[in-house]
Amino acid sequence: MSSFTEKIKKVDPRDAKLGMAHFYVAFIGLFIGGMAGLLQTLVRSGQYTLPAGIGYYQLLTLHGVVLALVMTTYFIMGFQLVAVSRTAGTLSNKQRTTAWIGFWLMTIGTVMAAVMILLNEASVLYTFYAPLQAHALFYVGLTLVIAGSWLGSAAIIMAYVAWRKQNPGQPSPLLTFMALVNTLMWVVATIGVASTVLFQLLPWSLGIVERVDVAVSRTLFWYFGHPLVYFWLLPAYMAWYVVVPKIIGGKIFSDSLARLSFILFLLFSIPVGFHHQLMEPGIDAAWKFLQVVLTFLVIIPSLMTAFSLFATFETFGRSKGATGLFGWLKELPWGDARFLIPFIGMLSFIPGGAGGIINASNQMNQVVHNTIWVTGHFHLTVATAVILTFFGISYWLIPHLTGRTLTKAMNKLAILQGVLWAIGMTFMSGAMHAAGLLGAPRRSAFSEYGGAAQAAEWIPYQIAQAVGGSILFIAIILVLYIFINLAFFAPKGEEEFPVGEAANLAEKAPMVLENWKLWLGIVVLLIAFAYTIPFIDLIENAPIGSKGYKLW
Amino acid sequence: MAQPGLDKRTQTKVEDQSSLKGTLASVFLLGFFLIITWVGVFLLFVNRF
Repeated sequence: MSSFTEKIKKVDPRDAKLGMAHFYVAFIGLFIGGMAGLLQTLVRSGQYTLPAGIGYYQLLTLHGVVLALVMTTYFIMGFQLVAVSRTAGTLSNKQRTTAWIGFWLMTIGTVMAAVMILLNEASVLYTFYAPLQAHALFYVGLTLVIAGSWLGSAAIIMAYVAWRKQNPGQPSPLLTFMALVNTLMWVVATIGVASTVLFQLLPWSLGIVERVDVAVSRTLFWYFGHPLVYFWLLPAYMAWYVVVPKIIGGKIFSDSLARLSFILFLLFSIPVGFHHQLMEPGIDAAWKFLQVVLTFLVIIPSLMTAFSLFATFETFGRSKGATGLFGWLKELPWGDARFLIPFIGMLSFIPGGAGGIINASNQMNQVVHNTIWVTGHFHLTVATAVILTFFGISYWLIPHLTGRTLTKAMNKLAILQGVLWAIGMTFMSGAMHAAGLLGAPRRSAFSEYGGAAQAAEWIPYQIAQAVGGSILFIAIILVLYIFINLAFFAPKGEEEFPVGEAANLAEKAPMVLENWKLWLGIVVLLIAFAYTIPFIDLIENAPIGSKGYKLW
Repeated sequence: MAQPGLDKRTQTKVEDQSSLKGTLASVFLLGFFLIITWVGVFLLFVNRF
């Protein structure tokens, strides 16, 4: 499936090895986390009891930590490193070594956290809210994961700086620019979670301090937690903006528009954590409202992206002679997994985004807060839009890095995988949304709630979730089969790393978009504006704090 | 003065290749979907609280 006219630009084998190391961990995580997810939906159907004293909340913690925190971070780090290597040139030895040290730190941390969860010492769910208290090694492990990711981030920043020095006055390659924006957002956001873990949760779990300020720790978590969802999403957007146009044989609608939308994500993704805390006491409603407004500003770059992608597809279709209002849809390469699977992801982001707007709508949050609607929501966004795009990326990137090819048979299997995912998720996430609107809580094992009539209404939906979860697990098995094939057994050959070109090459991206003093300055100002007074309020009016609880 | 031949131009409609009317329709559909879902949950909110 590679272009025959241009010589394939390959990622240097040393960088390919670095990328693959990340992907091995990511896909092992996918298997473990996916298995936990399947068991959870079975338990919640009321038809299955966990064996060997395994707790539901232990599984739920494993599922969340391994998929939301570990699998995504490894995939994103690996993808961004090789994307920078492909578009800004091979990493220097220093950059590569830094990234490798980061990889190993993350891996040590991941193993520590995972072992603590498996020993049932850390069933605190992936948000690890105080006053639930995990074993100290769980927090140390998470700290190492974050510290390791900072080293991977440093490698990307160093590569970007080196490129700009060698190419003065030039806008950086689009994929490198995007990887840098996501990296900067990650570094700024993780300061929040690192602060609560290092200064609150770790000393508290070690017994150095007896009590923890719950509201402050939750606020610091969500200062990180919302940009985290954009950290997942932006690499998918990298593929949608830059890779997919090349795969279909079209052009990027506008290079400058893509860059501007990433800058807007950088500005508006961080000072918005309160929309996860709309039902919490201790934060003044005015500050919540301000952050709701900032949250709604993120809709702008999202809609810019939707417009730009539609325009890319339509322009391509019309260049092939398509007519009529939607005739261009027929021209798209539906038989190519590298296109179809991210495309299903794009479609799922439409209801995902719609749900997000509802969640963030201040008072309307009362309808859905802490219901399984929210779980349904993020299984559309991260667990469909993002993850299907990541799978779509893997289907050309893994063979590109291992010097193999995606065969026709594997392409077919990949399409089956994507379709199964869409079906399974329609069942599971659809049932979660519906049950949530009927009041079914999230984060709870099977219960009949003392025979309450309302709880009985939820059970059919829980069975639908188990059906969906089972289909999704079959899709995961297929993904892993394809991954192993592409990594070790597919025929040797050259698979393209598709990087699109802008429709208008004469249009040079404005250099102001690379002015990081300006953008990071605005980021800091927005964060300071949105968070300073609420934090002063929280600390000034702090209660005595809470002791730790182990409720599992 | 009437020139009979001129009235019989063949009507071959050439669509502009750079047309983005499908994109316009698509983003409108997307916008309507966002509004409909939002209003749906808003009505639930109004009825419940």
